[in-house]
Amino acid sequence: MKRACIVVTGIGVVTPIGTGREQFWTNLLAGRCGIGPVRSFDTGAYRVHRGAEIQDFLPEAYLTNLDAAHLGRASQFAIAAARLALTDANVEIASLDRKRAGVSMGTTSGEPREVERFDDFFVSKKLELVGPEFLALYPSHVIAAHIACELQLGGVNTVIPTACAAGNYAIAHAFDVLRAGRADLMLAGGADAFSRITFTGFAQLGAIAPELCQPFDRFRKGMIPGEGAGVLVLESMERAKKRGARIYAEITGYGLSCDAHHMTAAHPAGEGAVRAMRKALEQSELRSEDVGYISAHGTGTLINDRLETLAVKRVFGEASYSIPISSIKSMLGHTMGAASAIEAAVCALACFHDRIPPTINLEEPDPECDLDYVPNFAREHSVQVAMNNAYAFGGNNASLILKRSETAHQ
Amino acid sequence: MRNRVVITGMGIVSSLGDSPFDLHASLCEGRSGIKPIELFNTEGLACSLGAEIRSFDAKKYLGGRNLRPLDRTSRLVASAAQLALDDSGLTDVARNTVEVGLVLGTMFCSVRTISEFDRRSLEAGPAYASPMDFSNTVINAAAGQTAILHKLRGINSTISTSTTSSLQAIAYATDIIRTGGAQVILAGGADELCFESFYGFDRAGLLCRSDNAAGGFPIPFDARRNGTALGEGAALLVLENAAFACERGANVIAEITGHGASYDCSRGTNDREAAEAVGLSIRQALNDAFTLPHEIDCLSASANGSLAGDRHEAQGALLGLNGQTRSLPVTAIKSMLGETLGASGSLQAIAMVETMRDGVLPGIWNLQEIENDFPFQLATPDNRHIDLKTGLINSVGFDGHCCSLVLARCN
Repeated sequence: MKRACIVVTGIGVVTPIGTGREQFWTNLLAGRCGIGPVRSFDTGAYRVHRGAEIQDFLPEAYLTNLDAAHLGRASQFAIAAARLALTDANVEIASLDRKRAGVSMGTTSGEPREVERFDDFFVSKKLELVGPEFLALYPSHVIAAHIACELQLGGVNTVIPTACAAGNYAIAHAFDVLRAGRADLMLAGGADAFSRITFTGFAQLGAIAPELCQPFDRFRKGMIPGEGAGVLVLESMERAKKRGARIYAEITGYGLSCDAHHMTAAHPAGEGAVRAMRKALEQSELRSEDVGYISAHGTGTLINDRLETLAVKRVFGEASYSIPISSIKSMLGHTMGAASAIEAAVCALACFHDRIPPTINLEEPDPECDLDYVPNFAREHSVQVAMNNAYAFGGNNASLILKRSETAHQ
Repeated sequence: MRNRVVITGMGIVSSLGDSPFDLHASLCEGRSGIKPIELFNTEGLACSLGAEIRSFDAKKYLGGRNLRPLDRTSRLVASAAQLALDDSGLTDVARNTVEVGLVLGTMFCSVRTISEFDRRSLEAGPAYASPMDFSNTVINAAAGQTAILHKLRGINSTISTSTTSSLQAIAYATDIIRTGGAQVILAGGADELCFESFYGFDRAGLLCRSDNAAGGFPIPFDARRNGTALGEGAALLVLENAAFACERGANVIAEITGHGASYDCSRGTNDREAAEAVGLSIRQALNDAFTLPHEIDCLSASANGSLAGDRHEAQGALLGLNGQTRSLPVTAIKSMLGETLGASGSLQAIAMVETMRDGVLPGIWNLQEIENDFPFQLATPDNRHIDLKTGLINSVGFDGHCCSLVLARCN
């Protein structure tokens, strides 16, 4: 039995460089940077002070059923991205069989600001000010649940909190749900809100750059925490064609693996990353030479960029030097659980438009990172197949492969 | 053709023992794990009972391994994983030739670790927050730590869907094995009992108060119930492609034949919609298992003493099973284990496997007067002898998640 072909027909993003597919894509190709001084909390006690926050976000614009006051920030982003994705896909919510429409979202921290609020009251001995809203707002599962409540979707509803690779995991799960025939349409992606806890942790690991995120640059100094959401509308090719939908790309497969090596450090030979890429190629029934673009995890830390480069070389061999690779984290910072979802959207758009976004702030090449990272300027390039790589704490590795759809350019 | 998925090992750490046999014996003897809480101070809270694992010591299961980097949740999971791997015969040597995955359901992983990390930073300054603790603040920490400890290099994923997390994790792993994405996956769930999560449930008014007729204990499906009690634990199943299990001569315990899931967008505020969501998840599971309602020999209910949740599950089961619930034996083991959140569904599954073995279905502890219109004539406080070939496990979350699983005995 031939398995259903799953396609991306809608893209919704909320990012530090723009909300909505068009604004985001334009700014991404222009190499805009969304990094600035942290505003959501006082960084006076820290040695680093910059982040990629979303300014002037108005959740009300995306809400008709739920009240913004009863939603954490990650849920607000997630709902906005979900609505934007459905609009982009030209899906009328009223026309959906809602029991057959589900949600699969990834996240690193769920709704961290709610536990931070709890902690503030705990420390100031005013815990009585934390009421019944804490349980309703905090647990990470609320992100997918809130999307479903706002849009009234009664199908499978899952949150996959696999940290910085969560977006890819959530999309892979939605792909499986659709292929198994458990839903007709899935909203899949990731969301995270800028978090004091995350910022503190990465600062303590010495992983945050003082100024800029410079993936693969010789003098890169680390990552920049960010926030945002990315949601894709996924459905079968058959359904998409029947309703005359625009198809950005096809999802052909994924690979998941675990380093089982260290909680925060990647395996020194990129062992798990290699297996995830190979599994993704195998499931996609593609050869490594078919890949025309790699969206790197590319956090901008000294070790990670080096190991990722090594892992790509181990999978692609000599061909690695001719595959364009870019890290959009140079512009967006690291949007955590949203990152690989937003990057999956970028892969779909790269296949659709034959354009590749740049890695900005890449001035001085690192001798150990000697591949083609599309420095500083976007590029026109035929992309038949794109690979989206994401790596996370816990040694969770996820590679996703998207392919240009035959019907995309009609 | 999809691969058949079988259970070849089980591991638990619970308030009612650290083996499936002990768990089942406790449930059948009506021993409750719910007691006054010792892990933290409950002064000023409405509820003071919980099912905690007294004197839990991971060293008992993990010997001389370095456990310092693992918090309580991770230790629970790593311990249950060791027990499950031992039970299935997947030794260190065997794991060199087959990639073993881990799919863990958890509602909070460790909100205690997250909160303590943040509070340390608030009180002493960010420079005093521990980088090692930070690595445990991610919600996939327990799955990651367990993978490191047991060298589990296969698919590693974490599922968070409220109290349905572990059933969803089993469902997720089942689909991956069915389609050939993996041969062996440890699947199940865990949550620890801690002040931070307990406080949230208590303030939300979901926990049973001492003024109920059962002396403050949760009484699933009973007219006198007034809330649940929280528990903790970890429960993992070794799920395997049946052909692979057969080839390596594994002891096949039971088969996962189907699963289903749905979401109630009213989050329990609309009785009809909530019951329909439960019914939908059950119907999907039966369809997936090619099983008819009359072929179900018993129901392991999610019911935990919640006012609304128990009602929605009772009415939803009636819908999902086409009205065939009156002569259906029903158990609700949360009456003794408490609501163990991310561990609950996998604990239900393991308890059901034990009933398959000896034919004893534990009664619902403390149940006296089942609520009037609940359609279960065979939900009783007494144990029941049944010939359990096919069982249905149900899980209903506090805010809309539903998941169901069909388990079949292997001959």
